[in-house]
Amino acid sequence: MDRRQFLKASGAAALLAGAAGCETVAQHLPIASFTRRRVVVVGGGYGGATAAKYVRLLDPSIEVLLVEPNDEFVSCPLSNMVLGGFRSMADITTPYSGLLRHGVRVIRDTATAIDTERRQVRMASGEPLSYDRVILSPGVDFMWEALPEMNNPTAQSRILHAWKAGPQTLALRRQLENMRDGGVFVISVPEAPFRCPPGPYERACQAAAYFKAAKPRSKVLILDANEDVISKGALFKRAWLELYPGMIEHRPNSRAVDVDVANNVLKLEFGDEKADVLNVLPPMKAGRIADPFITANGRWCEVDWLTYESRAAKNVHILGDSLQIAPLMPKSATMANGHGKVCAAAVVALLRGDTPNPAPTLVNTCYSMVSDKLAIHVASVHKYDTGEHPGTMRPVPGAGGLSSAMSEAEGTYSMNWARNIWADALA
Amino acid sequence: MPARAALMAAGLAAASAWAQQRGAPPPAFAPSNLTPAGVRALAAACAPCHGTDGHAVPGSALQPLAGRPRDEIVQALALFKEGRKPATVMQQIARGFTDEEVAAVAQYFERQPRQEGTP
Repeated sequence: MDRRQFLKASGAAALLAGAAGCETVAQHLPIASFTRRRVVVVGGGYGGATAAKYVRLLDPSIEVLLVEPNDEFVSCPLSNMVLGGFRSMADITTPYSGLLRHGVRVIRDTATAIDTERRQVRMASGEPLSYDRVILSPGVDFMWEALPEMNNPTAQSRILHAWKAGPQTLALRRQLENMRDGGVFVISVPEAPFRCPPGPYERACQAAAYFKAAKPRSKVLILDANEDVISKGALFKRAWLELYPGMIEHRPNSRAVDVDVANNVLKLEFGDEKADVLNVLPPMKAGRIADPFITANGRWCEVDWLTYESRAAKNVHILGDSLQIAPLMPKSATMANGHGKVCAAAVVALLRGDTPNPAPTLVNTCYSMVSDKLAIHVASVHKYDTGEHPGTMRPVPGAGGLSSAMSEAEGTYSMNWARNIWADALA
Repeated sequence: MPARAALMAAGLAAASAWAQQRGAPPPAFAPSNLTPAGVRALAAACAPCHGTDGHAVPGSALQPLAGRPRDEIVQALALFKEGRKPATVMQQIARGFTDEEVAAVAQYFERQPRQEGTP
Protein backbone atom coordinates (compact mmCIF):
# COMPACT_ATOMS: atom_id res chain seq x y z
CA MET A 1 0.00 0.00 0.00
CA ASP A 2 1.52 3.32 -0.96
CA ARG A 3 1.07 6.51 1.00
CA ARG A 4 -1.79 7.75 -1.11
CA GLN A 5 -3.80 4.54 -0.87
CA PHE A 6 -3.13 4.41 2.82
CA LEU A 7 -4.35 7.95 3.22
CA LYS A 8 -7.57 7.21 1.36
CA ALA A 9 -8.14 4.18 3.57
CA SER A 10 -7.45 6.13 6.71
CA GLY A 11 -9.59 9.08 5.66
CA ALA A 12 -12.71 7.88 7.44
CA ALA A 13 -10.81 7.23 10.64
CA ALA A 14 -9.24 10.66 10.39
CA LEU A 15 -12.68 12.21 9.91
CA LEU A 16 -13.90 10.56 13.09
CA ALA A 17 -10.80 11.73 14.92
CA GLY A 18 -11.33 15.28 13.68
CA ALA A 19 -13.12 16.59 16.75
CA ALA A 20 -11.72 20.01 17.43
CA GLY A 21 -11.32 22.46 20.22
CA CYS A 22 -10.07 26.01 20.37
CA GLU A 23 -6.60 25.92 21.80
CA THR A 24 -5.58 29.12 23.49
CA VAL A 25 -2.12 27.71 24.18
CA ALA A 26 -0.58 25.99 21.19
CA GLN A 27 0.67 22.52 21.92
CA HIS A 28 3.39 20.72 20.09
CA LEU A 29 1.47 18.84 17.44
CA PRO A 30 3.91 16.63 15.57
CA ILE A 31 2.90 15.05 12.29
CA ALA A 32 2.31 11.39 12.84
CA SER A 33 3.82 10.18 9.60
CA PHE A 34 1.57 8.26 7.21
CA THR A 35 -1.54 9.06 9.21
CA ARG A 36 -2.62 12.62 8.42
CA ARG A 37 -1.39 15.41 6.26
CA ARG A 38 -1.42 18.79 7.90
CA VAL A 39 -2.08 22.27 6.55
CA VAL A 40 -1.29 25.24 8.79
CA VAL A 41 -3.05 28.50 7.88
CA VAL A 42 -1.57 31.71 9.26
CA GLY A 43 -4.06 34.57 9.56
CA GLY A 44 -7.83 34.32 10.03
CA GLY A 45 -9.03 37.14 7.80
CA TYR A 46 -11.13 36.80 4.65
CA GLY A 47 -8.42 34.79 2.84
CA GLY A 48 -7.14 32.56 5.63
CA ALA A 49 -10.46 31.68 7.28
CA THR A 50 -11.92 30.77 3.87
CA ALA A 51 -8.90 28.63 2.96
CA ALA A 52 -9.03 26.78 6.29
CA LYS A 53 -12.74 26.01 5.93
CA TYR A 54 -12.52 24.95 2.28
CA VAL A 55 -9.57 22.59 2.77
CA ARG A 56 -11.74 20.76 5.30
CA LEU A 57 -14.85 20.90 3.04
CA LEU A 58 -12.88 19.42 0.15
CA ASP A 59 -10.97 16.79 2.14
CA PRO A 60 -11.88 16.12 5.79
CA SER A 61 -8.93 13.74 6.09
CA ILE A 62 -6.54 16.70 6.10
CA GLU A 63 -5.77 18.26 9.47
CA VAL A 64 -6.13 22.06 9.38
CA LEU A 65 -4.74 24.41 12.02
CA LEU A 66 -5.57 28.12 11.83
CA VAL A 67 -3.19 30.43 13.71
CA GLU A 68 -4.79 33.77 14.59
CA PRO A 69 -3.95 36.15 17.45
CA ASN A 70 -7.38 37.82 17.66
CA ASP A 71 -10.17 35.99 19.45
CA GLU A 72 -12.82 37.19 16.98
CA PHE A 73 -13.00 38.16 13.33
CA VAL A 74 -13.67 41.87 12.79
CA SER A 75 -14.57 42.84 9.22
CA CYS A 76 -12.77 45.69 7.49
CA PRO A 77 -15.63 45.97 4.97
CA LEU A 78 -18.44 47.90 6.72
CA SER A 79 -16.02 49.17 9.40
CA ASN A 80 -16.26 52.66 7.85
CA MET A 81 -19.94 52.55 8.87
CA VAL A 82 -18.81 52.28 12.49
CA LEU A 83 -16.92 55.54 11.91
CA GLY A 84 -20.12 57.02 10.49
CA GLY A 85 -22.05 55.86 13.55
CA PHE A 86 -24.40 53.63 11.55
CA ARG A 87 -23.05 50.26 12.73
CA SER A 88 -21.59 48.93 15.98
CA MET A 89 -18.46 46.83 16.38
CA ALA A 90 -20.73 43.91 17.29
CA ASP A 91 -22.40 44.24 13.85
CA ILE A 92 -19.08 43.60 12.07
CA THR A 93 -17.71 40.93 14.44
CA THR A 94 -17.98 37.15 13.91
CA PRO A 95 -16.62 34.46 16.23
CA TYR A 96 -14.19 31.81 14.97
CA SER A 97 -16.29 29.08 16.59
CA GLY A 98 -18.09 28.31 13.31
CA LEU A 99 -14.84 26.92 11.93
CA LEU A 100 -14.66 24.33 14.71
CA ARG A 101 -17.74 22.67 13.23
CA HIS A 102 -15.69 21.99 10.12
CA GLY A 103 -12.88 20.48 12.18
CA VAL A 104 -10.52 23.45 11.84
CA ARG A 105 -8.35 23.77 14.97
CA VAL A 106 -8.12 27.46 15.84
CA ILE A 107 -4.94 28.34 17.72
CA ARG A 108 -4.86 31.76 19.35
CA ASP A 109 -1.23 32.72 18.98
CA THR A 110 1.01 34.75 16.70
CA ALA A 111 3.15 33.07 14.07
CA THR A 112 6.61 34.63 14.12
CA ALA A 113 8.49 32.86 11.31
CA ILE A 114 8.27 30.11 8.71
CA ASP A 115 11.07 27.54 8.78
CA THR A 116 10.88 26.24 5.22
CA GLU A 117 13.69 23.70 5.80
CA ARG A 118 11.98 21.99 8.73
CA ARG A 119 8.52 22.83 7.42
CA GLN A 120 7.51 24.42 10.71
CA VAL A 121 5.68 27.57 11.75
CA ARG A 122 7.37 29.22 14.74
CA MET A 123 5.03 30.67 17.32
CA ALA A 124 5.20 33.58 19.77
CA SER A 125 4.17 31.46 22.75
CA GLY A 126 3.61 27.86 21.70
CA GLU A 127 5.83 25.16 20.27
CA PRO A 128 6.50 25.18 16.51
CA LEU A 129 3.78 23.66 14.29
CA SER A 130 4.90 21.20 11.62
CA TYR A 131 3.16 21.34 8.25
CA ASP A 132 2.98 19.59 4.92
CA ARG A 133 1.87 22.87 3.38
CA VAL A 134 1.46 26.28 4.97
CA ILE A 135 -0.97 28.98 3.77
CA LEU A 136 -0.09 32.57 4.70
CA SER A 137 -2.85 35.16 4.68
CA PRO A 138 -1.33 37.90 6.83
CA GLY A 139 -2.94 40.94 5.23
CA VAL A 140 -0.89 44.12 5.10
CA ASP A 141 1.79 45.69 7.20
CA PHE A 142 2.47 49.43 7.41
CA MET A 143 5.65 51.09 6.13
CA TRP A 144 5.98 53.64 8.92
CA GLU A 145 9.55 54.36 7.89
CA ALA A 146 8.04 56.39 5.01
CA LEU A 147 6.72 58.84 7.67
CA PRO A 148 9.67 59.17 10.09
CA GLU A 149 7.85 60.89 12.97
CA MET A 150 5.18 58.18 12.90
CA ASN A 151 7.74 55.42 13.32
CA ASN A 152 7.14 54.89 17.06
CA PRO A 153 4.26 53.47 19.14
CA THR A 154 3.38 56.76 20.86
CA ALA A 155 2.82 58.55 17.56
CA GLN A 156 0.86 55.58 16.23
CA SER A 157 -1.43 55.60 19.26
CA ARG A 158 -2.25 59.25 18.63
CA ILE A 159 -2.49 59.50 14.83
CA LEU A 160 -4.63 56.55 13.77
CA HIS A 161 -4.88 54.50 10.58
CA ALA A 162 -8.01 52.45 11.47
CA TRP A 163 -7.13 50.39 8.38
CA LYS A 164 -7.30 47.12 10.31
CA ALA A 165 -10.76 46.91 11.83
CA GLY A 166 -10.65 46.65 15.61
CA PRO A 167 -9.74 48.96 18.49
CA GLN A 168 -8.53 51.71 16.12
CA THR A 169 -11.93 51.78 14.41
CA LEU A 170 -13.63 52.76 17.65
CA ALA A 171 -10.78 55.06 18.67
CA LEU A 172 -11.07 57.02 15.40
CA ARG A 173 -14.84 57.21 15.89
CA ARG A 174 -14.20 58.77 19.34
CA GLN A 175 -11.83 61.33 17.76
CA LEU A 176 -14.56 62.30 15.28
CA GLU A 177 -17.11 62.54 18.10
CA ASN A 178 -14.77 64.81 20.07
CA MET A 179 -13.99 67.04 17.10
CA ARG A 180 -15.42 70.59 17.21
CA ASP A 181 -18.12 71.63 14.73
CA GLY A 182 -16.27 73.43 11.95
CA GLY A 183 -13.24 71.14 12.27
CA VAL A 184 -11.37 69.46 9.44
CA PHE A 185 -10.99 65.69 9.23
CA VAL A 186 -7.97 64.91 7.04
CA ILE A 187 -7.54 61.50 5.40
CA SER A 188 -4.06 60.87 3.97
CA VAL A 189 -4.09 58.31 1.14
CA PRO A 190 -0.87 56.56 0.04
CA GLU A 191 0.11 55.70 -3.51
CA ALA A 192 -1.63 52.62 -4.87
CA PRO A 193 -1.53 49.68 -4.44
CA PHE A 194 -2.92 49.42 -0.91
CA ARG A 195 -5.61 47.40 0.88
CA CYS A 196 -9.15 48.32 -0.22
CA PRO A 197 -8.72 50.88 -3.04
CA PRO A 198 -12.17 52.55 -2.58
CA GLY A 199 -11.91 52.51 1.24
CA PRO A 200 -10.56 56.05 1.77
CA TYR A 201 -13.28 57.59 -0.40
CA GLU A 202 -16.00 55.57 1.33
CA ARG A 203 -14.54 56.72 4.66
CA ALA A 204 -14.90 60.32 3.51
CA CYS A 205 -18.60 59.67 2.76
CA GLN A 206 -19.20 58.06 6.15
CA ALA A 207 -17.48 60.87 8.06
CA ALA A 208 -19.42 63.46 6.05
CA ALA A 209 -22.70 61.65 6.72
CA TYR A 210 -21.96 61.90 10.44
CA PHE A 211 -20.88 65.55 10.22
CA LYS A 212 -23.93 66.50 8.16
CA ALA A 213 -26.19 65.39 11.00
CA ALA A 214 -24.06 66.22 14.04
CA LYS A 215 -21.61 69.04 13.19
CA PRO A 216 -22.57 70.48 9.79
CA ARG A 217 -19.86 73.15 9.54
CA SER A 218 -17.15 70.47 9.51
CA LYS A 219 -15.22 69.31 6.47
CA VAL A 220 -13.45 66.24 5.13
CA LEU A 221 -10.19 66.80 3.25
CA ILE A 222 -8.74 63.85 1.31
CA LEU A 223 -5.05 64.35 0.62
CA ASP A 224 -4.36 61.73 -2.01
CA ALA A 225 -0.91 60.67 -3.23
CA ASN A 226 -2.54 59.43 -6.43
CA GLU A 227 -3.39 61.44 -9.55
CA ASP A 228 -7.10 60.91 -9.08
CA VAL A 229 -9.63 58.91 -7.06
CA ILE A 230 -8.35 55.38 -7.76
CA SER A 231 -11.62 53.42 -7.55
CA LYS A 232 -15.24 54.23 -8.52
CA GLY A 233 -14.09 57.82 -9.13
CA ALA A 234 -17.07 59.23 -11.00
CA LEU A 235 -19.53 57.57 -8.61
CA PHE A 236 -17.78 58.88 -5.51
CA LYS A 237 -17.48 62.39 -6.92
CA ARG A 238 -21.18 62.43 -7.71
CA ALA A 239 -22.04 61.18 -4.21
CA TRP A 240 -19.86 63.89 -2.64
CA LEU A 241 -21.52 66.58 -4.76
CA GLU A 242 -25.10 65.41 -4.30
CA LEU A 243 -25.10 64.11 -0.75
CA TYR A 244 -22.49 66.31 0.95
CA PRO A 245 -22.24 69.53 -1.07
CA GLY A 246 -19.26 71.63 0.00
CA MET A 247 -18.21 69.18 2.71
CA ILE A 248 -15.69 66.91 0.98
CA GLU A 249 -12.60 68.13 -0.83
CA HIS A 250 -10.36 65.72 -2.72
CA ARG A 251 -6.84 66.95 -3.45
CA PRO A 252 -4.86 64.67 -5.79
CA ASN A 253 -1.03 64.48 -6.08
CA SER A 254 -0.74 65.20 -2.35
CA ARG A 255 1.73 62.66 -1.02
CA ALA A 256 2.49 62.71 2.70
CA VAL A 257 6.18 62.70 3.60
CA ASP A 258 5.88 62.99 7.38
CA VAL A 259 3.59 63.98 10.24
CA ASP A 260 4.04 66.69 12.88
CA VAL A 261 2.44 64.55 15.55
CA ALA A 262 2.33 67.16 18.33
CA ASN A 263 0.49 69.66 16.13
CA ASN A 264 -1.70 67.29 14.08
CA VAL A 265 -0.08 68.49 10.87
CA LEU A 266 0.39 66.39 7.76
CA LYS A 267 3.60 67.27 5.94
CA LEU A 268 3.28 67.01 2.18
CA GLU A 269 5.87 67.23 -0.57
CA PHE A 270 4.68 70.79 -1.09
CA GLY A 271 3.33 72.51 2.03
CA ASP A 272 1.67 71.34 5.24
CA GLU A 273 -1.95 70.76 6.19
CA LYS A 274 -3.27 71.14 9.73
CA ALA A 275 -6.08 68.83 10.81
CA ASP A 276 -8.49 68.67 13.69
CA VAL A 277 -8.55 64.90 13.31
CA LEU A 278 -5.76 63.39 11.22
CA ASN A 279 -6.16 59.89 9.78
CA VAL A 280 -3.03 58.57 8.07
CA LEU A 281 -3.00 55.52 5.83
CA PRO A 282 0.69 54.74 5.48
CA PRO A 283 2.16 52.98 2.45
CA MET A 284 1.54 49.26 2.78
CA LYS A 285 3.36 46.00 2.12
CA ALA A 286 2.79 42.29 2.68
CA GLY A 287 2.20 41.21 6.29
CA ARG A 288 5.43 40.68 8.23
CA ILE A 289 5.34 36.86 8.37
CA ALA A 290 5.57 36.89 4.56
CA ASP A 291 8.72 39.08 4.49
CA PRO A 292 11.04 36.26 3.35
CA PHE A 293 8.73 35.60 0.39
CA ILE A 294 8.52 39.19 -0.89
CA THR A 295 9.64 39.25 -4.52
CA ALA A 296 8.01 42.37 -6.02
CA ASN A 297 9.15 45.96 -5.34
CA GLY A 298 10.31 44.99 -1.88
CA ARG A 299 6.65 45.00 -0.84
CA TRP A 300 4.53 42.18 -2.24
CA CYS A 301 4.64 38.40 -2.80
CA GLU A 302 4.41 36.77 -6.21
CA VAL A 303 2.66 33.41 -6.51
CA ASP A 304 1.71 30.80 -9.08
CA TRP A 305 -1.93 31.75 -9.83
CA LEU A 306 -2.96 28.10 -10.15
CA THR A 307 -1.82 27.12 -6.66
CA TYR A 308 -0.92 30.36 -4.82
CA GLU A 309 2.41 28.72 -4.06
CA SER A 310 5.08 31.33 -3.42
CA ARG A 311 7.57 31.97 -6.23
CA ALA A 312 10.20 32.08 -3.49
CA ALA A 313 9.54 28.88 -1.49
CA LYS A 314 8.09 25.40 -1.92
CA ASN A 315 5.07 24.31 0.15
CA VAL A 316 4.39 27.94 1.14
CA HIS A 317 1.15 29.41 -0.24
CA ILE A 318 0.21 33.08 0.05
CA LEU A 319 -3.19 34.79 -0.32
CA GLY A 320 -5.03 38.04 -0.11
CA ASP A 321 -3.72 41.56 0.33
CA SER A 322 -0.08 40.38 0.59
CA LEU A 323 0.02 39.41 -3.07
CA GLN A 324 1.58 41.23 -5.95
CA ILE A 325 -1.69 41.74 -7.79
CA ALA A 326 -2.47 40.47 -11.27
CA PRO A 327 -3.70 43.08 -13.81
CA LEU A 328 -6.74 44.99 -12.48
CA MET A 329 -7.09 42.73 -9.45
CA PRO A 330 -8.03 44.74 -6.35
CA LYS A 331 -6.88 44.03 -2.80
CA SER A 332 -10.43 43.34 -1.65
CA ALA A 333 -12.19 41.00 0.76
CA THR A 334 -14.08 39.17 -2.00
CA MET A 335 -10.84 38.66 -3.87
CA ALA A 336 -9.10 37.23 -0.78
CA ASN A 337 -12.09 34.91 -0.26
CA GLY A 338 -11.69 33.75 -3.87
CA HIS A 339 -7.93 33.26 -3.45
CA GLY A 340 -8.69 31.16 -0.37
CA LYS A 341 -10.90 28.76 -2.32
CA VAL A 342 -8.64 28.37 -5.35
CA CYS A 343 -5.67 27.83 -3.02
CA ALA A 344 -7.55 25.36 -0.80
CA ALA A 345 -8.55 23.24 -3.81
CA ALA A 346 -4.98 23.32 -5.17
CA VAL A 347 -3.47 22.38 -1.80
CA VAL A 348 -5.88 19.45 -1.50
CA ALA A 349 -5.02 18.34 -5.05
CA LEU A 350 -1.27 18.64 -4.46
CA LEU A 351 -1.45 16.68 -1.19
CA ARG A 352 -3.25 13.90 -3.07
CA GLY A 353 -0.76 13.97 -5.94
CA ASP A 354 -3.45 15.31 -8.31
CA THR A 355 -3.19 18.17 -10.81
CA PRO A 356 -4.59 21.51 -9.57
CA ASN A 357 -7.46 23.14 -11.49
CA PRO A 358 -5.88 24.55 -14.69
CA ALA A 359 -8.66 27.12 -15.18
CA PRO A 360 -9.38 28.97 -11.91
CA THR A 361 -11.98 31.77 -11.93
CA LEU A 362 -12.27 34.66 -9.49
CA VAL A 363 -15.29 36.94 -9.16
CA ASN A 364 -14.92 40.28 -7.44
CA THR A 365 -17.83 42.31 -6.14
CA CYS A 366 -16.92 45.29 -4.02
CA TYR A 367 -19.52 47.58 -2.48
CA SER A 368 -18.94 50.99 -0.93
CA MET A 369 -21.49 52.66 1.35
CA VAL A 370 -21.77 56.32 0.37
CA SER A 371 -24.33 57.07 3.11
CA ASP A 372 -26.17 55.11 5.77
CA LYS A 373 -28.33 53.47 3.06
CA LEU A 374 -26.88 54.12 -0.40
CA ALA A 375 -24.17 52.01 -2.01
CA ILE A 376 -22.16 51.70 -5.22
CA HIS A 377 -20.17 48.77 -6.58
CA VAL A 378 -17.41 47.66 -8.89
CA ALA A 379 -17.37 44.08 -10.16
CA SER A 380 -15.09 41.96 -12.33
CA VAL A 381 -14.56 38.34 -13.41
CA HIS A 382 -10.97 37.09 -13.65
CA LYS A 383 -9.80 33.96 -15.47
CA TYR A 384 -6.45 32.28 -15.91
CA ASP A 385 -4.57 33.60 -18.93
CA THR A 386 -2.05 31.23 -20.46
CA GLY A 387 -0.90 33.76 -23.06
CA GLU A 388 2.28 34.63 -21.20
CA HIS A 389 4.72 32.74 -19.03
CA PRO A 390 4.18 32.55 -16.19
CA GLY A 391 0.40 32.59 -16.56
CA THR A 392 -1.62 35.26 -14.80
CA MET A 393 -5.21 36.16 -13.93
CA ARG A 394 -6.89 38.67 -16.23
CA PRO A 395 -10.35 40.25 -16.25
CA VAL A 396 -12.73 38.84 -18.82
CA PRO A 397 -13.28 41.56 -21.45
CA GLY A 398 -16.89 42.70 -21.63
CA ALA A 399 -17.67 41.44 -18.12
CA GLY A 400 -17.65 43.46 -14.94
CA GLY A 401 -18.36 47.13 -14.46
CA LEU A 402 -19.65 49.78 -12.13
CA SER A 403 -23.00 50.82 -10.69
CA SER A 404 -25.07 52.94 -13.05
CA ALA A 405 -25.86 55.12 -10.00
CA MET A 406 -25.83 54.92 -6.20
CA SER A 407 -28.93 53.20 -4.87
CA GLU A 408 -30.69 51.83 -1.82
CA ALA A 409 -30.99 48.46 -3.55
CA GLU A 410 -27.22 48.21 -3.63
CA GLY A 411 -27.11 49.30 0.00
CA THR A 412 -29.30 46.31 0.83
CA TYR A 413 -27.19 44.00 -1.35
CA SER A 414 -24.06 45.28 0.33
CA MET A 415 -25.33 44.24 3.77
CA ASN A 416 -26.44 40.86 2.44
CA TRP A 417 -23.09 40.34 0.69
CA ALA A 418 -21.45 40.89 4.09
CA ARG A 419 -23.66 38.35 5.87
CA ASN A 420 -23.15 35.75 3.15
CA ILE A 421 -19.39 36.17 2.81
CA TRP A 422 -18.95 36.05 6.61
CA ALA A 423 -20.88 32.79 6.60
CA ASP A 424 -18.90 31.49 3.61
CA ALA A 425 -15.60 32.20 5.37
CA LEU A 426 -16.46 31.51 8.99
CA ALA A 427 -19.68 29.57 9.51
CA MET B 1 -29.70 43.87 -34.66
CA PRO B 2 -30.89 41.21 -32.18
CA ALA B 3 -29.93 41.82 -28.55
CA ARG B 4 -27.47 38.96 -28.58
CA ALA B 5 -25.59 40.17 -31.65
CA ALA B 6 -25.55 43.70 -30.27
CA LEU B 7 -24.07 42.43 -27.07
CA MET B 8 -21.47 40.38 -28.85
CA ALA B 9 -20.50 43.43 -30.86
CA ALA B 10 -20.34 45.47 -27.68
CA GLY B 11 -18.28 42.73 -26.06
CA LEU B 12 -15.83 42.70 -28.96
CA ALA B 13 -15.56 46.47 -28.84
CA ALA B 14 -14.92 46.29 -25.11
CA ALA B 15 -12.36 43.55 -25.67
CA SER B 16 -10.47 45.54 -28.24
CA ALA B 17 -10.67 48.71 -26.15
CA TRP B 18 -9.36 46.76 -23.22
CA ALA B 19 -6.49 45.31 -25.23
CA GLN B 20 -5.54 48.69 -26.65
CA GLN B 21 -5.77 50.32 -23.25
CA ARG B 22 -3.46 47.79 -21.70
CA GLY B 23 -1.17 47.66 -24.72
CA ALA B 24 -1.30 43.87 -24.45
CA PRO B 25 -2.58 41.10 -26.70
CA PRO B 26 -6.11 39.88 -25.87
CA PRO B 27 -6.07 37.27 -23.11
CA ALA B 28 -5.71 33.58 -23.99
CA PHE B 29 -7.86 32.06 -21.27
CA ALA B 30 -7.39 28.44 -20.26
CA PRO B 31 -10.26 26.27 -21.55
CA SER B 32 -13.11 25.83 -19.03
CA ASN B 33 -12.59 23.01 -16.56
CA LEU B 34 -15.95 21.24 -16.40
CA THR B 35 -14.79 18.25 -14.37
CA PRO B 36 -16.70 17.81 -11.08
CA ALA B 37 -13.89 19.58 -9.18
CA GLY B 38 -13.78 22.35 -11.78
CA VAL B 39 -17.53 22.94 -11.61
CA ARG B 40 -17.46 22.95 -7.81
CA ALA B 41 -14.72 25.58 -7.99
CA LEU B 42 -16.81 27.71 -10.38
CA ALA B 43 -19.82 27.43 -8.07
CA ALA B 44 -17.62 28.47 -5.13
CA ALA B 45 -17.05 31.80 -6.90
CA CYS B 46 -20.79 32.53 -6.41
CA ALA B 47 -20.62 31.91 -2.64
CA PRO B 48 -19.60 35.36 -1.32
CA CYS B 49 -23.03 36.66 -2.34
CA HIS B 50 -25.16 33.50 -2.63
CA GLY B 51 -23.73 31.36 0.19
CA THR B 52 -21.54 28.27 0.42
CA ASP B 53 -22.85 25.79 -2.19
CA GLY B 54 -25.75 28.20 -2.79
CA HIS B 55 -27.01 28.13 0.81
CA ALA B 56 -27.52 31.80 1.63
CA VAL B 57 -27.99 33.04 5.19
CA PRO B 58 -31.62 33.14 6.39
CA GLY B 59 -33.54 36.11 5.02
CA SER B 60 -30.85 36.96 2.47
CA ALA B 61 -31.94 39.49 -0.14
CA LEU B 62 -29.43 37.79 -2.44
CA GLN B 63 -31.07 34.64 -3.71
CA PRO B 64 -30.12 31.20 -2.41
CA LEU B 65 -29.26 28.97 -5.39
CA ALA B 66 -29.20 25.55 -3.72
CA GLY B 67 -31.86 23.20 -5.06
CA ARG B 68 -33.14 25.59 -7.72
CA PRO B 69 -34.13 24.01 -11.03
CA ARG B 70 -31.23 24.05 -13.48
CA ASP B 71 -33.29 25.62 -16.26
CA GLU B 72 -34.42 28.46 -14.03
CA ILE B 73 -30.79 29.42 -13.29
CA VAL B 74 -29.72 29.00 -16.93
CA GLN B 75 -32.58 31.20 -18.13
CA ALA B 76 -31.95 33.89 -15.53
CA LEU B 77 -28.24 34.05 -16.40
CA ALA B 78 -29.04 34.25 -20.13
CA LEU B 79 -31.41 37.17 -19.50
CA PHE B 80 -28.82 38.89 -17.31
CA LYS B 81 -26.20 38.44 -20.03
CA GLU B 82 -28.49 39.96 -22.62
CA GLY B 83 -29.47 42.83 -20.36
CA ARG B 84 -33.12 41.77 -20.48
CA LYS B 85 -33.51 41.10 -16.73
CA PRO B 86 -33.10 44.12 -14.46
CA ALA B 87 -30.01 43.85 -12.29
CA THR B 88 -27.43 45.96 -10.53
CA VAL B 89 -24.43 43.65 -10.83
CA MET B 90 -25.49 40.24 -12.19
CA GLN B 91 -25.53 41.44 -15.82
CA GLN B 92 -21.84 42.29 -15.39
CA ILE B 93 -20.92 39.01 -13.70
CA ALA B 94 -22.96 36.78 -16.02
CA ARG B 95 -20.94 38.03 -18.99
CA GLY B 96 -17.83 36.55 -17.41
CA PHE B 97 -19.07 32.98 -17.88
CA THR B 98 -19.58 30.88 -21.00
CA ASP B 99 -22.96 29.22 -21.64
CA GLU B 100 -21.34 25.82 -20.92
CA GLU B 101 -20.01 27.06 -17.59
CA VAL B 102 -23.43 28.46 -16.66
CA ALA B 103 -25.15 25.17 -17.53
CA ALA B 104 -22.67 23.16 -15.46
CA VAL B 105 -22.88 25.47 -12.45
CA ALA B 106 -26.69 25.49 -12.68
CA GLN B 107 -26.71 21.70 -12.58
CA TYR B 108 -24.38 21.77 -9.57
CA PHE B 109 -26.74 24.07 -7.66
CA GLU B 110 -29.80 22.04 -8.68
CA ARG B 111 -28.23 19.02 -6.99
CA GLN B 112 -27.62 20.80 -3.68
CA PRO B 113 -30.28 20.23 -1.01
CA ARG B 114 -32.94 22.90 -1.38
CA GLN B 115 -32.93 25.50 1.31
CA GLU B 116 -35.95 26.23 3.43
CA GLY B 117 -37.47 29.59 2.58
CA THR B 118 -36.26 29.53 -1.04
CA PRO B 119 -38.94 31.13 -3.21
